[in-house]
Amino acid sequence: MNEFVLEMKGITKTFPGVVALDQVSFSVKRGEVHALVGENGAGKSTLMKILNGVYQANHGEIWLDGQKVHLSNIKDAQSKGISIIFQEFNLINTLSVAENIFLGRYNDEKLINWKEVRTEAKRLLESLGFSFDVNRIVGKLSTAEKQLVEIAKALSFQAKLIVMDEPTSSLTKTEEEMLFGIIRKLKENNITTIYISHKLEEVFRICDTVTILRDGKVIDVKPVKEIMRNEIIEKMVGRTIDMDYPKRNVQFGEIVLDIKQLNRGRLLHDISFQLRKGEILGIAGLVGSGRTELAETLFGAEKADSGEINVFGKRVVLRSTRDGQMNSIGMLTEDRKETGLVLPFTVARNITITNLKEVTSNLLLSGRKEKKVAEKYIEALNIKTPSTNQPLMNLSGGNQQKVVLAKWLFSNADLLILDEPTRGIDVGAKYEFYCMMNDLVAQGKSIIMISSELPEVLGMSDRILVMHNGMIKGELMGLQMTAENVMQLAID
Amino acid sequence: MRKLTSKTIRNAIRDNAIFIVVLLLIIITAFIEPSFITWDNLLNILRQNATIGIVACGMTYCIIAGLFDLSVGSIVSLSGVIVILSINAGVPDYLAVGYGLLAGIAVGVINGTLVSLINGRSGEAFIITYGMQVVVAAIALFPSNGLFIAGRVKPGIFMSMGQGMTPIIIFLSLAAIMQFILVKTRYGRQLCYIGSNISAANMSGIRVKPNRISYFAISGLMSGIAAIVLCSRVTSSNPTAGLGYEMDAIAGIVVGGTSMSGGSGSVFRTVLGIIIIGIMSNALNILGITAYHQQVVKGLLIIAAVSMDIWNKRIKVREIANEKAYIG
Repeated sequence: MNEFVLEMKGITKTFPGVVALDQVSFSVKRGEVHALVGENGAGKSTLMKILNGVYQANHGEIWLDGQKVHLSNIKDAQSKGISIIFQEFNLINTLSVAENIFLGRYNDEKLINWKEVRTEAKRLLESLGFSFDVNRIVGKLSTAEKQLVEIAKALSFQAKLIVMDEPTSSLTKTEEEMLFGIIRKLKENNITTIYISHKLEEVFRICDTVTILRDGKVIDVKPVKEIMRNEIIEKMVGRTIDMDYPKRNVQFGEIVLDIKQLNRGRLLHDISFQLRKGEILGIAGLVGSGRTELAETLFGAEKADSGEINVFGKRVVLRSTRDGQMNSIGMLTEDRKETGLVLPFTVARNITITNLKEVTSNLLLSGRKEKKVAEKYIEALNIKTPSTNQPLMNLSGGNQQKVVLAKWLFSNADLLILDEPTRGIDVGAKYEFYCMMNDLVAQGKSIIMISSELPEVLGMSDRILVMHNGMIKGELMGLQMTAENVMQLAID
Repeated sequence: MRKLTSKTIRNAIRDNAIFIVVLLLIIITAFIEPSFITWDNLLNILRQNATIGIVACGMTYCIIAGLFDLSVGSIVSLSGVIVILSINAGVPDYLAVGYGLLAGIAVGVINGTLVSLINGRSGEAFIITYGMQVVVAAIALFPSNGLFIAGRVKPGIFMSMGQGMTPIIIFLSLAAIMQFILVKTRYGRQLCYIGSNISAANMSGIRVKPNRISYFAISGLMSGIAAIVLCSRVTSSNPTAGLGYEMDAIAGIVVGGTSMSGGSGSVFRTVLGIIIIGIMSNALNILGITAYHQQVVKGLLIIAAVSMDIWNKRIKVREIANEKAYIG
């Protein structure tokens, strides 16, 4: 047998007007963990969709285990041993773990032998190193557990190749470790993993080989040991990025936000801090430490039980998001699809949502004014969209995030709360977003940034508050701002 | 401008399939019975459907907001009873009408408050307003013990509301006003945001709760207006007059093409939907099809409309997915 489990040779895929993949050759050795990296739009998803049988290539061949194959649909790919685990899981929340693993193919007899299904499900999970009650309802599992079920499901198909698309995007640090353990276990069993991720730290930790795609072409394939982080980034974006985080030089002004002894149920205890004009205040902490809850309370989405919030020296009571907005506070939520944007609506309508009054004349909405506003922000923030009328769901993650920022700039918010602002957006777009944050504080706005990505918090913040169990565990400034110090405070 | 390609033509046919089917029905009926397409007949159809049309327009806001209002039929009954009882008690016309409208708004506000309190979505709204439907229907029965009440109506504002062209004018002008508000004002735009993604609307500083209460209040108000038109037409009130109105209203909305999943829709299309159902029953009458058979056709029409909506959406999602693939 040939050492490659998968060889995709000279794959070309065109869509009307665009070449998505141009003569791409992609080979994966048996039993390795192979990283596939590239900016959004580089062609990763298209390549994986061809591997999955969703798209058919215009040219090129796919070889599995040294045999040429034709993949006509997902089922076909599955039966040939290829399973893809997407960011959004394909699980039924109301069914049990065992039912989900063997969904639709319990056995051949008329009556389902549930005992057998459960035993088999248990065995699969155990092979990954987990003993698990397979009768648990999937909807009640954590994201990490759901992912585990997906992997077990893939194994039940006798998968020899598992593709993981951004598998850690909503996992906590501990869960990430668990996933890496599973991937190593798969490797021991000679199962190959293709690992798609924007987080290069993970590529270096878990992957053997990396293939870099850009603009539908393979730029480089190298063993991970022989490549440096900056080299990967340069090849992904096609230009040199001197540093991950752009520098700024902003003088702080007066105190714009002064929080005193804020409490909210069991979620927030005795929170006090100040924020100055022109400052970027980082809030670090583990998932569940109360970061998002604090942000919601500062924005007015949830009400504090006691304590003081002073905005621009004036004491305010925030009972609703409207109150937050009226006090010139804006919040970019951590889940832009669920709570940040109205995806089926156009770019223009998503920008004007916070301040319809501005696009109203004589009590009537003015399409002309709305378009002008949208054009202004598309240009200012370099939002890539064919027109102001494009439905937002057609934009890439980074551009969607810019629209969320645009809507708060349009509402004239001076105090921006950014909750995981760069989640799921690619390296180039991240850098652009950081530059924008710098511009905003230079213009006199103030930013509170919550992030789970430690390098980002360290690189972008002027000062860092670390939260733990709903409390501010410590404040770090200047040279104290190191990864070790943050983690020490965050973990307890 | 959009180019007139075979794709856009295909889309246009798909979006309007129901209208095309009914158009065919009209043509066939007109051939068999030429008196079918006369002004008199058309006005008659409009007059017969004006009350249900007014109710449906009110409910359209609720549906676009991703909600439901099943209590409208009971409100029609209750408001009617209140107006006729008031008039019989010698209350001036305008006050009697005011009482009827207030009753509708009150029930709507209770609906909206309950749904808002539990942060309900369409499912909860369905159950809560169904509960209100049962309660309000019972209340409408109390005063007359469930009996029909003849109105001692004197010529005046109230009497004129159900006569001649007035019901049609009330129906169409209310629809026009509601459509205008929906498309051209901040209030209407916020309604669409809330219907499409209530969490995002909330997190963008829109006051979601009071807005949602107002949609139920409007639905209640419109039901009150429908009750007045209805009672004026028949100069009496029947405490079960509104029975089944909620379903007929939903049928009109769905046939018109407003999606049950919220976020988009139009009052204008609701008017079309109501007229289509009206024309269809009328045509089937003329063709000599019995009432029972007509019910079958009506049911199928509703199922077809909903299926078409889901089907269209699926095609659109696929088109978008393809478009996206070549953008990024």
